[in-house]
Amino acid sequence: MLQTVKPKNARSKRVLEAREPKLVENEKTTLFLRGTSASKIVQDAIGDLHALKKPNAVKFQKKNAVHPFEDASALEFFSRKNDASLMVFASDSKKRPHNLTFVRFFDYQMLDMVELGIDGETFRKMSDFKNAKAGVGLKPMISFSGSIFENNPTYAQMKLLFLDFFHGNTVSEVDVESLQYMISISAADATDENPNPKIHFRTYMLKTMRSGHKLPRVELEEMGPRMDFKIGRIQEANPDLMKGAMQKAKGQEMRTKKNISIDPMGDKIGKIHVDRQDLGKLQTRKMKGLKKRSRGESDDGDNDIEMEDEDVDMGDDALPAVSPKRAKV
Amino acid sequence: MATAMDVDEPQKRSVTVTKPIPLTFDLGHLAAFDANPLPPLTPQSLEETLHSTARDAAQLIINQILTTVELKSTQDGVYATLPDPITQLPREKPVPKPKEPTKWEQFAKKKGIAAKAKDGKLVYDEATGEWVSKWGYKGANKGVEDDWLVEVDERKQQDVNDNPRNLSRAERLERIRKNERQQKKNEKKAELGGASSSASGYKNRRR
Repeated sequence: MLQTVKPKNARSKRVLEAREPKLVENEKTTLFLRGTSASKIVQDAIGDLHALKKPNAVKFQKKNAVHPFEDASALEFFSRKNDASLMVFASDSKKRPHNLTFVRFFDYQMLDMVELGIDGETFRKMSDFKNAKAGVGLKPMISFSGSIFENNPTYAQMKLLFLDFFHGNTVSEVDVESLQYMISISAADATDENPNPKIHFRTYMLKTMRSGHKLPRVELEEMGPRMDFKIGRIQEANPDLMKGAMQKAKGQEMRTKKNISIDPMGDKIGKIHVDRQDLGKLQTRKMKGLKKRSRGESDDGDNDIEMEDEDVDMGDDALPAVSPKRAKV
Repeated sequence: MATAMDVDEPQKRSVTVTKPIPLTFDLGHLAAFDANPLPPLTPQSLEETLHSTARDAAQLIINQILTTVELKSTQDGVYATLPDPITQLPREKPVPKPKEPTKWEQFAKKKGIAAKAKDGKLVYDEATGEWVSKWGYKGANKGVEDDWLVEVDERKQQDVNDNPRNLSRAERLERIRKNERQQKKNEKKAELGGASSSASGYKNRRR
């Protein structure tokens, strides 16, 4: 028999309910933690990434004697404790200097892991850039530049990993004012001398200017952090676990709207089906004699209608009491 | 007029970006994918190149949002309605399983019994002409429990020593206990039905 935690009061009950699997999921929480040895650079790096991920992020202050690629069970424990399904583990060693391990979890089990080594010379932390920073908790725009993200399976995997880490909450609407910053991830193409090019992680503040057109001119200003990653060890996802993670909730699938399409120019095109016109009901020239009248219609009403008809005989006015019966027949 | 036009002229900045391979967008994630290879990166020009490609991408995302997406202007500002994301990302937790039907629900379905409509907590007491709650304090389910005079029911009164005042209450409490037993049974059944594939309990997974 499985043991489950039973909430002892209303508050803990609410917490446990918030952690239950949901049809439409909440934003993933990210946990930042460091190993027993961590250089200044990686500590600054996780500090800045934490600032970008706030408020859905937790940062541990103490050292943790963990080696993710040897035994991830400690991280799984932290994931469960903090209800965090994303994790960044900072470590530094002679063999792997300035190392960040990006870990994803599904159902508190380790899904996949990637080691990214920061280039210590090009690293700049956020406070090195003296400018305004983006507001806390805003959804960033993300761009991936470089054909390698389409061609190379490892880099394609990195693309999905970064998208998962930084896309924030999935929302149906976004305030245009809140589009304040962009995370730009780019990599050069692989060459023979350099089969594994570095991934350049940059964050920019957006500035929109009047352009004289309807659309604004966008300019960027680097906000930090600036990191160049070298891909290290990769732990692929267990296919069974990944299959469970990719399952779509029933009733949540996108419904295709019939007859509405958007062409490559971005114009919305609707297809309308119109019934054949009923020519029997076509309004032709109005004539007194052809008018259909109900029995109970009053004389006042008759006069009103007559006023509208322009080309009625004047004689009709003299005979307002044409009986409705006759008109009907 | 003419001078004003002259002042405007230098402000005309380009808002269009042309790329050999057009960018693809996933506006649900506010993401743009630029499949064009980066120009050769030298240490001197690296930042400049990255900045300009990022600017182009930002301009294109903003253009895409402002032209293709429905914009709603409210008092709080202009809101862009984002489409559903195209790129599927892994879930955090498994899709929740539908609730197991209780034994009564199964039976009711088999027999075609519709669920009773919820008609409120109060019920009309004809004797006093007041609305009283169906259960709880001074509830209508108390029956003769609080009456000052209780008739002895010989069928219920099996032991002579039983207090006839308490019999109605004991019966009601027994009904409550029976319902709790049934609830527990249903919960157990649901747990066994769903336990095979769901995650193991928290306590078992401790290090």
